[in-house]
Amino acid sequence: MPFLLRRLLRSLALLIGVSFLSFLLLDLAPGDYFDTMLLNPQISPATVAAIRSQYGLNRPLPQEYWSWIRSIGRGDWGYSLAYNLPAAPLIWQRARYTLLLSGTATALAWIAALALGIWSSARPHSWIAALVRTLEALLMAIPELVLALSLLLIAVWSGIAPAAGASSSISALQPRSLLDLARHLLLPCLSLALGLLPLLLLHVRSSMRQALDSPFVNAARAYGIRPARLLFRHALPVAANPLISLFGLSIGLLMSSSLVTETVFSWPGIGSLMVTAILDRDFFVVVDCTLLAAIFLLAGNFLADLLLFLQDPRVRAS
Amino acid sequence: MRFLAVSANAFPLVLALLPFLSRTENGARFQTSSETHPPPAQFVAEPGIPGGTLVISSHSEPKTLNPLLAVDSSSRKITALLNADLIHINSATQQTEPALAESWSVSDSGRRYLLHLRHGLRFSDGSPFDADDVVFSFRAYLDDRVQSPQRDLLITAGKPIRVEKIDPYTVAFSLERPYAAAERLFDGLAMLPRHLLENQLQQGTLRSAWNLATAPQAIAGLGPFRVASYAPGQRIVLERNPYYWKSDSRGTRLPYLDRISVVFAANTDAEVMRFEQGETDLIENLDAQNFALLARRQNAGHYRAVDIGPGLEYDFLFFNQNAFPSEPFPHLFERQKWFRETQFRRAVSAAIDRDALIRLAYFGRADALATLVTPGNRRWTDPAIPRPVRSLENARRLLSSCGFSWASDHSLLDPARNPVRFAITVNAGKPQQVEMATLIQQDLKDIGIQVDLDQIEFHTFMDRIFSNYRYEAAIIALADGDADPNSEFNVLSSTGTAHLWQLKSAGPIPKWQAEIDQLLDKQLITQNYEERKAIYNRIQQVVWENMPMICLVSPHILAAAKNSVGNFHPAILGDPALWNADRLFLRP
Repeated sequence: MPFLLRRLLRSLALLIGVSFLSFLLLDLAPGDYFDTMLLNPQISPATVAAIRSQYGLNRPLPQEYWSWIRSIGRGDWGYSLAYNLPAAPLIWQRARYTLLLSGTATALAWIAALALGIWSSARPHSWIAALVRTLEALLMAIPELVLALSLLLIAVWSGIAPAAGASSSISALQPRSLLDLARHLLLPCLSLALGLLPLLLLHVRSSMRQALDSPFVNAARAYGIRPARLLFRHALPVAANPLISLFGLSIGLLMSSSLVTETVFSWPGIGSLMVTAILDRDFFVVVDCTLLAAIFLLAGNFLADLLLFLQDPRVRAS
Repeated sequence: MRFLAVSANAFPLVLALLPFLSRTENGARFQTSSETHPPPAQFVAEPGIPGGTLVISSHSEPKTLNPLLAVDSSSRKITALLNADLIHINSATQQTEPALAESWSVSDSGRRYLLHLRHGLRFSDGSPFDADDVVFSFRAYLDDRVQSPQRDLLITAGKPIRVEKIDPYTVAFSLERPYAAAERLFDGLAMLPRHLLENQLQQGTLRSAWNLATAPQAIAGLGPFRVASYAPGQRIVLERNPYYWKSDSRGTRLPYLDRISVVFAANTDAEVMRFEQGETDLIENLDAQNFALLARRQNAGHYRAVDIGPGLEYDFLFFNQNAFPSEPFPHLFERQKWFRETQFRRAVSAAIDRDALIRLAYFGRADALATLVTPGNRRWTDPAIPRPVRSLENARRLLSSCGFSWASDHSLLDPARNPVRFAITVNAGKPQQVEMATLIQQDLKDIGIQVDLDQIEFHTFMDRIFSNYRYEAAIIALADGDADPNSEFNVLSSTGTAHLWQLKSAGPIPKWQAEIDQLLDKQLITQNYEERKAIYNRIQQVVWENMPMICLVSPHILAAAKNSVGNFHPAILGDPALWNADRLFLRP
């Protein structure tokens, strides 16, 4: 219990730090959402000043920060200057799409990494292992943006899958939404999963290799234990610790890893909302998105710690 | 009715591989098969076929459905389809025409307007529309708590326009002083349903009304469409308003389309991809590069790409002539001596190769500009002003005439023998403006001026132009929402809020500026078109002679639609391809 409480208090302090820093940095950045209004001669500078004052943009930073903290308590999470709405519903609507995309991509990447990593480390001199190593190096070398753009170009040229959005323009009018959603998910999900795969593969392979080369596995092998049992019953639990930490990190990045992919594929998630909010200086939405990403990161780490605690008796003992 | 054609949403992530798609087979970058086709002065609509869903795209989602607050182009695109105004500016003719008001009259003093409303009109929820709704709408636009962007437009000589109900179908408007283009004020002012919004106006919560979380049933307008559904970050679907009042020449009720589905894309490149994939039927506000791609493939793609020539946007270079109490940053005081010299500005203009700007920055899809009135503004452009042509000889002559000279290494020296060097600040999110700045840098090198480029992010750019004035020269684009000269008032008047080169002045203004101010005031109250035209021609002449702003180019309006879209006739006013949305139809 003290372990849990300590972790929670530390997480809370971190979140306050992250949110205050976000506030400070955004406050220091030049301009605000109402800048574009200045260039519309229909609107006098006095009107723009009145609107700014109405939204409390001319208040001192601590006052603004305190008002935002209070709005968190109310469940509003501040106010979107662009949408004239409390920020919370705006963010939740999009967070679902981000979780769908990054959750599916992360699951796919883990399944592929575990299968390929375990296979190639069990047979390090086979042609499959060589192929996996080549694929890993190739994917590691391709930047995320180039990967996404390449998939996008393939989609445009071949028409195999929709190039943008989360559903077809008319799907709202037809009862085929799930299949349609799956088709739209294909490319962004593939792009994200292929971006994540080499890192996971590298870690799975090296952890498994280390475990398989350890003296106790060699001894077990000498005792004639079957290769499958050796691999899954003896080597895998030993290799699991670093992988659990990595799993926690990948859960933590669910909310923030898809920013580029979402923008390239016009995916209606939190990434594209955040990019627009940053460019528009939609103050509270940017802070909220940053905070949400930080919450996921802390939750991911916490989950990893918990799993390690349950899995490894040495951690429990310490 | 002008807004800056710089977008805060222009995400710098340009799909890097797409330029390959837009090049021609032999690698030439701008030649396309599509010629420029200026829109006809009169648009005769083809009788359409009712039914179908038109799918279009928008480079961002609307931020609000409340016409009182809509300022961004995406929100305005949607609210224009949902609402109607009393008097409307026809995008094809650029002149006013009856809309919700079937006729109007003006008093002899030019200060009182009497508008007669059409009978039997209904909002999209079936409620009747009458003079009470008009009075309510103007109360809402003028309310202090709403702070509508249109509010300032309805205040003349410091006093708000007075609105009075004469009878259920007649409304009187009184202005504090005569206003030449008063009837154009009514264009774009959506008439609102009193029965739905009066409580919110009284409670002071009208600013938060009709946002994207509002149920479609709670929104009603007098436009051709009404909201059917909204999917956050994906699309908004509009359905035909069954109570819309217009019919075609055969008596068929408009609009023809059953629905318009507006899908949101991350940027213009993504919009083009969706169009190419056949997901959308129509695309507007294309940039020249994407237009080249579509024009090249239009025969195979079963669509047509249309270039209707220059719109009302004008890109220009201007120098910082703001007055400062002390030196704001190194060398500006010294350099402002050059910037305030008319012959220097004219020399810079003469050295700029506008044809190269058009060829390289706009792939041939722009026109050279002498003043801020573009060739697209048919009623007000002055044909007597010559098209600017590059002349280095003329530039050198102008510089010599005001004491500039050249060092042995051909660099230009001012009368105090200081080398002439300045920086041009540009919004990095506008690639065409960055490219123009680079070309101007090369052009001015030919007369010995060293130009530095300062590419900055949009909000920093705005901060420098409007708040701290930390720049030497800048390139910007302004675009008129209306062709009338009054929309230039704030740019040209020395006290205007968009008088960008001198937002802060001290001491007497130059004679030519005083003349512009006087002429602007005069045209404001001159009712006769010929007289106003003569005044405005003189204003353009003074601008051309003194060049407070060095006008560069006016980009063309570019759009494309599938061949199945009927009555697709882009225009330069309003939303280029949707201005006649009620008459668009789909061929089987």
